[in-house]
Amino acid sequence: MKGPALHALGFLSAWGAGVGVLPADARLAAAGRPVLSLGRPERDGERFRRTTREGLLALAAVESALEDGGAHRLAIAGDRTALVYVTAAAYAPSNQRFIEGRGGSIRFAETAPAVVPAEVAIELHLSGPYAIFLGGPPATLRGIWHAAGLIADGECDRALVLGVEIFEECEGLYARSGRLCRRPLVEAAACLWLEAGQGTLSLESGRDGAGETGTDLRRRLGETFCCEPLAALDSWRRMDRAGTLNLTGRWRGETARLVWTDPMPRPLLAATRREEP
Amino acid sequence: MRAEPIAIDAAGVATPIGQDVESLWSSLCTGASGVTQIERFPVDDLRVGRGGEVKKLSRIKTWGGVADCRATRLLICAADDLGAQSDLRAADPARVAVVVGTALGGVEEGERALAGDRRRRRLAGALYDAPAHGLARWLGCRGPVITVSTACASGATAIAVGADLLRAGEADLVVAGGYDVLCRFVMRGFDALRALTRDEVRPFDRRRSGLLLGEAAALVALRRLPDASQERLGTLLGYGSASDASHISAPDPEGRGLERAVRAALRQAGVAPDAIDFVSAHGTATPLNDPIECAVLARVLGERRRAVPVNSIKANLGHTMGAAAVLEAIMCLLASRHGLIPPTLNLDEPDPACDLDFVRGAARPARPRVSLSTSLGFGGCNGALVLEGAV
Repeated sequence: MKGPALHALGFLSAWGAGVGVLPADARLAAAGRPVLSLGRPERDGERFRRTTREGLLALAAVESALEDGGAHRLAIAGDRTALVYVTAAAYAPSNQRFIEGRGGSIRFAETAPAVVPAEVAIELHLSGPYAIFLGGPPATLRGIWHAAGLIADGECDRALVLGVEIFEECEGLYARSGRLCRRPLVEAAACLWLEAGQGTLSLESGRDGAGETGTDLRRRLGETFCCEPLAALDSWRRMDRAGTLNLTGRWRGETARLVWTDPMPRPLLAATRREEP
Repeated sequence: MRAEPIAIDAAGVATPIGQDVESLWSSLCTGASGVTQIERFPVDDLRVGRGGEVKKLSRIKTWGGVADCRATRLLICAADDLGAQSDLRAADPARVAVVVGTALGGVEEGERALAGDRRRRRLAGALYDAPAHGLARWLGCRGPVITVSTACASGATAIAVGADLLRAGEADLVVAGGYDVLCRFVMRGFDALRALTRDEVRPFDRRRSGLLLGEAAALVALRRLPDASQERLGTLLGYGSASDASHISAPDPEGRGLERAVRAALRQAGVAPDAIDFVSAHGTATPLNDPIECAVLARVLGERRRAVPVNSIKANLGHTMGAAAVLEAIMCLLASRHGLIPPTLNLDEPDPACDLDFVRGAARPARPRVSLSTSLGFGGCNGALVLEGAV
């Protein structure tokens, strides 16, 4: 498939903005805390008073990408922007709240994973194609691949791949998960802005786990479920190099591998280099 | 851009009105309803305790060690039926993908975990992508396992994503579909929203007063056309999606997102609106949905608005959420095969605001070649499929 160009990327985690702020070792830096929270972003306006934390973090991630791309929100408004949302578990806090009987009927609507991208779509007037993939890192790679397909097929001019994971409200449940989850669980929200590019993109899936990448990043980042590949992208573009990017993600025994040639066209790469210290 | 058509080789279902495709078809054509009092969990405290409940799952020879998760078992029942129609084991397991759509995933496992069931598998099963992996294990497939969740349009999205895998050469066979189960979580939710009717489900009827929920799983075997069987059900021609960007839980009052999705699906199919022979509408029977959907269909169909048959099967099954779009797609293709369009159950007095040619009363003899199926969901999700029957 024709590969898209990485136009901008916003990555927020409990460690701060971007991967430049990650500690050398997340486990040591967490100092025994099993969950590191991103908190609840403050926003003005009545509409956001009852908006879920995951919805507010999604908006913050998209705004971070807009800032990274030096663009006003109007640059992405309309039906020529696709929105692809990925998450493994960001719906869990809303589910728990509703199951435990907290909040009124509106809380039920919030349990739908689709409501998080809907908050973004409503606020930023994004009325183009959309998709929602659920799962860990392979779902994110699938989301990037799907978004690239929408651009390549002319269904949109640009696509946002949005990932959100939050854990704080369900800390008790995760504490019971034993070795099902790595520690610490680090909340993250990220948005990748893709435009038409000149490279190529391919995605392979398998069960062998061979060629897994990003273990060093994971050690520094902690467990962020679906947001990990977006952190890897942020890390890669900061390494000041062009060429082919290999991204691998594992989840429930499945390995997905995205091979992306020339994700950063020269002008974008040059701009990124100028911003780096 | 016109997309490569993808063969829909066969289908398999587990529904309240039939746990195989032929039983489902017979029930739809004879106007059977699967809506009953819910028995599997307490509903005494709810305003409405009825729904399309599958009373007893088909006996499967071996569950293959899958967890006692109802969502996974519904999927496996549908896969067992699919396997009876299509040889799923002939393909290289590494080239077989599973793509399923769901609105609720394994949320019932989450309910159990929060209620004190401390087994770790409850936690793992509570994540919405768990049932897809259970199905993949049961099938022995080793290709991509994908879960999509575009609320009640999830099934349409799953079929489209599955078709993309084939077009890209990532798989040779895709088992695609959707599912959702009835559980306290979803019944309480829709009850709290006052979306459930105490009456019958009456799509497009002026007396309609809401929906009832149902549970089901529905799967199709997707293959590239050269790999498909001679007896295939039909072909996926196109898919379109669009976001309303207007409200969290209510559809856009003018249906602009749905119209964009329909026109995108027609564009991908390379089909003009005047080629549509039949429309399977979302038709939830809520006061809000039906007139909006009809207005969109009237705009798309133009002068042929009263010449194209339209139905909704939600009164037969209840709204089966993640399975709905897949069941409706299967129904479209069976209509082509059998030369018969199932009626819209309980549609006795069409709403003047819904001015289309509804199939009602009895099944209508007709053999639609090209069908349009529409879906809407929470969060302003809209999806549309354009299908061609194997006629």
